[in-house]
Amino acid sequence: MHNVHVNGEDILKRQLELAEGNRTQLEAAGVTAISVMGAIGSGKTSLIERMIDRLRVCGLRVGTIAADSAGDDDHRRFLSHGADSVNLNTQDDCHLDAHTVDHAMEHLPLQDVDVLFIENVGNLICPADFPLGAAREVVVISTTEGDDMVRKHPKIFAQTDVLVLNKIDLADAVGVDPQRVISDYVRVNPHGIPVLTDAKHEVGLDELLKALGFECTSTP
Amino acid sequence: MHEYSVASELVQALLPTVETIDGRIVSVFLKKGELRILSDTALRNAFEILAEGTKLAGARLEIESIPVRVTCPACGYAGPVERLSDPAFHFAVPILSCPSCEAEVEIQTGRELYVDRLSVQDAAAPETT
Repeated sequence: MHNVHVNGEDILKRQLELAEGNRTQLEAAGVTAISVMGAIGSGKTSLIERMIDRLRVCGLRVGTIAADSAGDDDHRRFLSHGADSVNLNTQDDCHLDAHTVDHAMEHLPLQDVDVLFIENVGNLICPADFPLGAAREVVVISTTEGDDMVRKHPKIFAQTDVLVLNKIDLADAVGVDPQRVISDYVRVNPHGIPVLTDAKHEVGLDELLKALGFECTSTP
Repeated sequence: MHEYSVASELVQALLPTVETIDGRIVSVFLKKGELRILSDTALRNAFEILAEGTKLAGARLEIESIPVRVTCPACGYAGPVERLSDPAFHFAVPILSCPSCEAEVEIQTGRELYVDRLSVQDAAAPETT
């Protein structure tokens, strides 16, 4: 028996290089890309809709990449809010990767876009291992999923810039203490920014846009 | 459940190398950064299936964890990070913050995923178990 040393190249190196390529392409076109990850039904699409409305009032042009395993519901919702949108069906794959995002960007007029939201497939595990080349990463969860989500998925929360806890209007009804979620998040990610929102009633959107680096407080 | 696609990348990356090796591949030693969100069990199962019919058939995937190490642009600290050892989290979560001055850090290790080495049973040697 003997050992053979191999070249040690990272297996996901190609993904990392593609993500870096996306980042360079987006920066060159003057686009700020936001990767939106999160649980199924947490309100990712609703939050993006509200942000599109506000950013457009602030004079910014918004693009979206709407990823789902099937269907075009989110894509059509983004179009109805005035975004340039691309529908991206992952065909049952559980996450986006930099390669598919690169192809999706080919269908967007990047020179006419200031902000690009990339909405990932609803999933709190797989997307975290695949950087897309976005400037910022946000994870969305909601009160209806319980106050233990950070403890159940600490790694994704430890590595992302912003946590959104949505549906805070339902916190009492489902017996969830939002502060418990926030305190778990701050413990695993001391530099992350937690934001409480209620997308349906337009609560917390200014704070969310600020956390993502946008100076935009105009209400539609 | 992205372990299958990762294992597929792993097998495809290894095959050109292993096909030049004279002997049976017994183990593949994979280094995995602890920030990677990959199940060891699912990776091993996927690897076993994908290796069937190739030179890697029957090889065992041995997974070795690489702990997080960081550098701090603020104070110059270089080394490991503190861990959150609350039983509620079930495992010690690495805290991506400077243990010396609490500033934001740059991650140096902990996100890797690469094959370090293979153990090979020489073609002429008797089988060992």
